[in-house]
Amino acid sequence: MITKSATTFITTSATSPALHFSKDLMEKLAILSDAAKYDVACTSSGVNRKGDGNGMGNSLACGICHSFSADGRCISLLKILYTNECIFNCSYCQNNCESDIPRATFTPEEVCTLTMEFYRRNYIEGLFLSSGIIVSPNYTMDLIYQTLYRLRNVYHFQGYIHVKAIPGADPLLIEKAGFLADRMSINLELPTADALRKLAPCKSRHTILKPMRQIQNSIIQNKNELSLYQNTSRKGTNNRFSLTEQSRFVPAGQSTQMIIGATPENDFQIMSVAEGLYQNFSLKRVFYSAFVNTTHNTNLPVLSGGPPLLREHRLYQADWLLRYYHFTISELLSEDRPNFNIYLDPKCDWALRHLEYFPVEINRADYKTLLRVPGIGAKSASRIVKARRGSRLDFPDLKKIGVVLKRALYFITCSGKMMYPTRLDEDYICRNLLSDYTQIPRELREEGYRQLSLFDDVNFGGDSNVYLSMRG
Amino acid sequence: MYIFQCEDSIDGIFTGIYDAFASHYGHKNIRLSTNSHEDMCLFSEYISVRTDIDKSQKVGRTLFKRFGIDFYETICKCALADGSFKKLSMDKANAIYQTIVMAFALPEAEKVLNFLGEPCIACLFELCRQTNNEGHHYLGFLRFFELENGLLFAKIAPKNNVLPILAEHFTNRLPLENFMIYDETHKLAIIHKAGKDYLTVDASELDLTLTRQYSANEENYQKLFKTFFHSIAIEARKNPKLQSQNIPKRFWANTVELADCQ
Repeated sequence: MITKSATTFITTSATSPALHFSKDLMEKLAILSDAAKYDVACTSSGVNRKGDGNGMGNSLACGICHSFSADGRCISLLKILYTNECIFNCSYCQNNCESDIPRATFTPEEVCTLTMEFYRRNYIEGLFLSSGIIVSPNYTMDLIYQTLYRLRNVYHFQGYIHVKAIPGADPLLIEKAGFLADRMSINLELPTADALRKLAPCKSRHTILKPMRQIQNSIIQNKNELSLYQNTSRKGTNNRFSLTEQSRFVPAGQSTQMIIGATPENDFQIMSVAEGLYQNFSLKRVFYSAFVNTTHNTNLPVLSGGPPLLREHRLYQADWLLRYYHFTISELLSEDRPNFNIYLDPKCDWALRHLEYFPVEINRADYKTLLRVPGIGAKSASRIVKARRGSRLDFPDLKKIGVVLKRALYFITCSGKMMYPTRLDEDYICRNLLSDYTQIPRELREEGYRQLSLFDDVNFGGDSNVYLSMRG
Repeated sequence: MYIFQCEDSIDGIFTGIYDAFASHYGHKNIRLSTNSHEDMCLFSEYISVRTDIDKSQKVGRTLFKRFGIDFYETICKCALADGSFKKLSMDKANAIYQTIVMAFALPEAEKVLNFLGEPCIACLFELCRQTNNEGHHYLGFLRFFELENGLLFAKIAPKNNVLPILAEHFTNRLPLENFMIYDETHKLAIIHKAGKDYLTVDASELDLTLTRQYSANEENYQKLFKTFFHSIAIEARKNPKLQSQNIPKRFWANTVELADCQ
């Protein structure tokens, strides 16, 4: 450690020039961040990039949350619309051309200044730029492209950029923007083409899926070209790194989002669409957004209980099971049981219906079997597999590893013994799991939860399936 | 039993390890401790370790060369952790010592960190995770304030000594900025000059009034960010409990947007 007075450091640093600051910027930011708040894809993950020393910024694959807003959601990126002046009339969207709200449009310069100044104060991890459709899709996409170009090449910003591809924009513009962004997304908006036709007449499945396919193909093509380039110039020059860095196309992959609860699709339909997107379009993420009725359009349902947050939560849980736990949707839901259980998470629910796989012996079972145990996540499963090479594991060890024993204990044995004498019986386990107050979802607790009896036919959430009544 | 009492720092603990190995008392008869106020036991000999940079660097080099960078980093992060909380089953320095002894005894030493069934490894893992988690929190929750002369100043109050993690990160992220991160708990600071590497300095005599002289634009950007912070929240989804679960209240005081909400 080198000791030097910290105070001298402060007093001797050079002064910086005063920056230009416009007054109505505050108003614009208020309008255009408010207009962007229903977009949920605010992650900054998926790409590792070191700064090259000549600009500002870097990126971490794990993503960084910089703050959490009053709704508990993460603030990672400066999430704004370029403009909320929109020529489309999607009925679910507060920015549609028929609604009477204040309108504003940024300039590329303003977006760049905001991003740079927020980034250097460590308020944000990067920029999330979306937009209403001003004049035409091409005109809008071009403005977005110009902003990104300025940010990357004039301001030398090397942080994370998530940008929306505008449906209906020229493929060339999307291609050019993709080389400047880390992640691109096109919102699917609604799970089925029918719903889209009804609520968003200016958009169609075709104009959404076409750019999605284009981005997918460009990502694959870009990867192949880069690896070819790296192979041929292995012995090559020093600038290899910087050249590859600048010519990567959407390195963090693409994502999309669906609105949940505005149209009558069931969970099975929604998750089947998501599964299809992961498999056929190689999406990195599908986001689900509980519908909030802001426009009070006659096409839309009135949700008395507020946005369907619990349903959204269950969909995310199932989404995780698809991406990290090797589940398929047909294992979790079917035509006969089209909705998730609101009391139990999808994994617990699956385990209770497949007790023939349990109990699982911790010291012997393979990784994929461990993943299916409720209370054991991907991290603890891999820790278990590694740790048991050193010594036999017992229940206290599992707790230290991070296994949630109060859920897992019904499904596992350590060296042939269970933690407590429990029965491997569906009703017994279900009753015990739910007897713990904290295991009941908050929404249900606050709705006046009472102790469940197996013979009650209580129906809390409208037409959602209640676990016990459903199994009747 | 011989108990080596060392200073609570990487150098202190590494010196303790050097002395413990050099003493030839036998690993079973040795314990390391960073807590100088612990209840003394009868029939034990207490040896107080004087921190020595040379010895510490020798230990550091050996660990790095023999067991690789991952092992070395884990040990360092564990040494940076706050080892004073009560639930911990073992003293921090002792957990590190026992782990190193075990690593020397095994043919595949890098894998020793996976053996979470061993008490010392479990303890090491727990402490390392603690430092990592808090470090990662601060990567996001730290806020820079621009002072009159363009310097970016941040104040943090971490439980673990996370400055090295933050220093690496921000030096790479803001290479052309002059910045300073001040750790209130440990009275340390890192300073970074544009285009250079960072330095760790003792900040026990830092004049904090200097750090409140903001630049002309600073308050404007703070206001802008607060505006953004409030308008991005969805009223219909309001959930203060989830918010304070995700950003625990101890971080609020040093942020821009939540400082007045406490």
